[in-house]
Amino acid sequence: MSDYTVVGQTVARVDAVEKVTGAAQYGADVHPPGMLYGKIVRSKQAHANILSIDTSEAEKLPGVKAIITQDDVPSGRRVFATDKILYLGEPLAAVAATDPDIAEEAAELIKIEYEVLPVVQDVMEAIKPSAPRLHGDGTKDGPNRREIATQIRRLTRDKENDHSDEISKLEAELENYPDEVYYNISAESHSDAGDIEKGFAECDVVVEDTYVIPRVHQTYMEPHVSVASADSSGKVTVWASTQGPFAIRSGIAGTLGIPLTQINVIGTTMGGGFGGRFGVIITHVPAVLLSQKSGRPVRVQMTREEEFTDGRPAPGCVIKLKTGATNDGRILARQALAFWDSGSVSGASIGSTIRVRGVYKIPNLKVDAYGVHTNKSGTAAYRAPGAPQAIFAGESQLDEIAERIGMDPVKFRLMNMREEGDPIPAGATEPKVGYKETLEAVADAAGWWDREAGENQGWGVAVGDWTNGCGPGGVYVAVHEDGSVRIFHGSMDITGTDTAISQIIAEILTVPYESVTIRRGDTDSAPYSTGSGGSVVTFTMGNTAKLAAEDAHQRILELASERLNMNVDNLELRDGEVHVVTADPPKSILLGELAAYSLSTTGGPIVGKGSFARQASTPALAAQIAKVEVDPDTGRTRVLKLVASQDVGFAINPMAVEGQIEGGTVQGYAWAMMEEMQYGEDGNINPGFVDYRVPTSADLPTVESVIVEVPAPNGPYGAKGVGEPPITPTLATMANAVKDAVGIRVTELPIKPEKVVQALQSNGH
Amino acid sequence: MRNFEFFEPTTLAEASRLFAQEHTQLLAGGTDLVIGMKALTEAPQSVISLQKIPGLAGVTTESDNSISVGAMTKVRAVELSADIQQHHTALAEGAAEIGSIQIRNLATIGGNIAHASPAADTVAGLLVADAQVDIASADGERTVSIDELFTGPGQTVLAPGEIITRFRLPSPASGSHYIKHKIREVMDLAFIGVAAAVNLNDGVITDARIGLAAVAPTPIRATEAENLLNGNQLTAELLAQAGEAAAAAASPISDLRCSAEHRSEMVNVLTRRTVQEAVNRA
Repeated sequence: MSDYTVVGQTVARVDAVEKVTGAAQYGADVHPPGMLYGKIVRSKQAHANILSIDTSEAEKLPGVKAIITQDDVPSGRRVFATDKILYLGEPLAAVAATDPDIAEEAAELIKIEYEVLPVVQDVMEAIKPSAPRLHGDGTKDGPNRREIATQIRRLTRDKENDHSDEISKLEAELENYPDEVYYNISAESHSDAGDIEKGFAECDVVVEDTYVIPRVHQTYMEPHVSVASADSSGKVTVWASTQGPFAIRSGIAGTLGIPLTQINVIGTTMGGGFGGRFGVIITHVPAVLLSQKSGRPVRVQMTREEEFTDGRPAPGCVIKLKTGATNDGRILARQALAFWDSGSVSGASIGSTIRVRGVYKIPNLKVDAYGVHTNKSGTAAYRAPGAPQAIFAGESQLDEIAERIGMDPVKFRLMNMREEGDPIPAGATEPKVGYKETLEAVADAAGWWDREAGENQGWGVAVGDWTNGCGPGGVYVAVHEDGSVRIFHGSMDITGTDTAISQIIAEILTVPYESVTIRRGDTDSAPYSTGSGGSVVTFTMGNTAKLAAEDAHQRILELASERLNMNVDNLELRDGEVHVVTADPPKSILLGELAAYSLSTTGGPIVGKGSFARQASTPALAAQIAKVEVDPDTGRTRVLKLVASQDVGFAINPMAVEGQIEGGTVQGYAWAMMEEMQYGEDGNINPGFVDYRVPTSADLPTVESVIVEVPAPNGPYGAKGVGEPPITPTLATMANAVKDAVGIRVTELPIKPEKVVQALQSNGH
Repeated sequence: MRNFEFFEPTTLAEASRLFAQEHTQLLAGGTDLVIGMKALTEAPQSVISLQKIPGLAGVTTESDNSISVGAMTKVRAVELSADIQQHHTALAEGAAEIGSIQIRNLATIGGNIAHASPAADTVAGLLVADAQVDIASADGERTVSIDELFTGPGQTVLAPGEIITRFRLPSPASGSHYIKHKIREVMDLAFIGVAAAVNLNDGVITDARIGLAAVAPTPIRATEAENLLNGNQLTAELLAQAGEAAAAAASPISDLRCSAEHRSEMVNVLTRRTVQEAVNRA
């Protein structure tokens, strides 16, 4: 199909052998001599004032080498709670000891006096006036109040004219919206297009529902861990299990007031990230502080229980959604009001509420989103942050509309999808994306058009869109005298990105993939490279690698020109040799010979440099179809078929791409059917894998992946980020399939057996 | 994990003498104990391994098809025993529901029972097998019926120093079946578990036994439902009555896994299904 020889081919991952032999070094494998074991002292209350923290008994315990509290944090950035505890498990102090059991015992000996406060865990409770306030009276206004308040502010600012009458009228109007005063608001996000009221007025069918999506954990296999070693000169080395070593370096520098050059962050092999492995203060800062104080290396490693109580999972949310369409199937208006459970700090991905727009032409759209404080840990990214939640609501409701107007769900979506050149917000137009191609591909592959369903069986379809990010990156590539190629960069390998980078460089330098090796540096030795999240790595580092290889390619031709005394225009790099295009008989020189020759030239060795920061990304679509069977008596749902297509732009390594499609789809399935962090008065009540269920291979048939390639103009070889899109549609795919099977619309995830039985009973089963 | 003393006695008498001391725990497969010790929910001063005591593991079948299962028999061996599969299918099916294969290769049936979780997956199968539990101590031996063994969650009639040595399954059932209500296909804990066993005489049910797990503080038999079935041919109506009766026997709790109401409903549904399947197999 393509003229490429290495990219576009399935090759073994560069890290395959070290992974399967156990040679890969994870964070917990790091054990410098004299290492101490750190333990974080955690709150046993979900909401309380701290009256006192007494570490004196713990300090006396033999083997305890350091105890730290917020007093030890020079920047004052909140690492440990000081006066108020906001969630169960919040860090209060940390201990380093010669043995993990001693550290744990010392942690128990630290006495904390609390004044217990009322707890709020539910976002819809937290916004009420009666709710306890986590951060004082942090009230913000509701959507209508906000518009009025904006007008008041604008009029107040106009000092040249007297608006006092208008202002007092507007102020009186504020009283009309008592239900729109929300409390415990951490952040808000609003956007609109068209005229929402007019839009709904023109609709034949309007559907309104409230969707509730639970907080879920990234459940990476490797818990957070860091090993820190501060030496007598003040130099700090941190072995960190992280997606972004450079972000950890700057985070530590900022929090602890250490110069950047005095910090070296060594990223260890990552046991999964999914967006949850960027946090600085979770383990890295405590480890550094403990090492500075004790003068010895310290490991801080979270248990699985700590991961649940003090990880940074994906936010749950409540989305009130309203959609209207005409009887002939045109979606005219959609309005969302979303409350995201942000936990004790802001940071929930509330901006993703806009994803309810989907990839459809919706002329009238209004979205209001709020982050809400509750007594839970903060949240972080999880694979397409915020998109699965918003798309669950949007795609569930589309099926309800399709049903009411009697239109096939796939046809209804195809009819409303945006096309190249359609206007999109911010004055731009839609680029060429394979929206329809991807949905058609999954429908064809799944057999949608002649689908059959037995009793209690049903089919569901949904699509989800996402656009990869990009970030700054640097890559060096060196060619050695044996013709081998070595790559240096600083981004963590995630989802096989080192493999993709190696393929790109092999392709350009026309060498076998096997002769390319990749060296990921620490922050002391690698050029600045982006964090490995937001599906950026193959896009950013792939582009960077391409630039580096092209730079090396240029140097190779220069060398050959010099060596062969030929004009560069008459030379071509092919199969690891530079050929003289017009030579008869053929004449060529091996890459290794040129590399050897380069060592004695004025220009010097072959080193290519690539540096890249930003280019417009192109959206990607994931489309999925599931066939399920629901047991109406037990409420259990079995997946009979799950097909996932995705517009990946260009699959640099098709097997790795399929792996991402499968993995994302399974995580989406899990969120739909079983995963849920549950909270009681005191905090998380299922902090472990017994009652926080992640699916096993027995729960699903093999996910059938379908790769669609509509190239992205700025992606390397047209590639788009592939990691995040596949999780986005699955929640709705499953809910839509269950609806088709037994006629119940589950709007509150996960679709547990009990909920299904209850819903069927209220339907008269 | 706290420090502890580790003993590997080679006789039951010695093990019993050690186990009679306070703050001791027996180690069989370790799949519950070691996790508890790591989480500090268990902090025994002494751990007494049963692994060096001969004769505690294995499945033996007598000429009358009565079966003896040693307490140290691995759950995986119970699951795969052809005799248990044939004569006490519900027990083999229950064993197959525990954890993963790796766990089942370590865990023992004695541990699964002595741990006294109302949700143990082998317990419903043992209940419908009418299992007799042999118990040894330094003072001698005694036998209790499986339905008299448990006194509450984590609690049994075992006195200090008493060790379960074997389960005797006196009479085979020609048909039995176990169903566990769960969310995940494998490696899940029972929301509830139901086992049924029957013999048939000319199409008439005899020896009906129904065992319920995770629906009461201890595993229980649904005797009302059994009485309804015994002496009758199975009809849809009878099945419905048996389901109702079994649900009435349950006194489940609501917890983070599901509500008491859901558990009761599932006792009804799964009793009907297990009884039907047991009769089909008989």
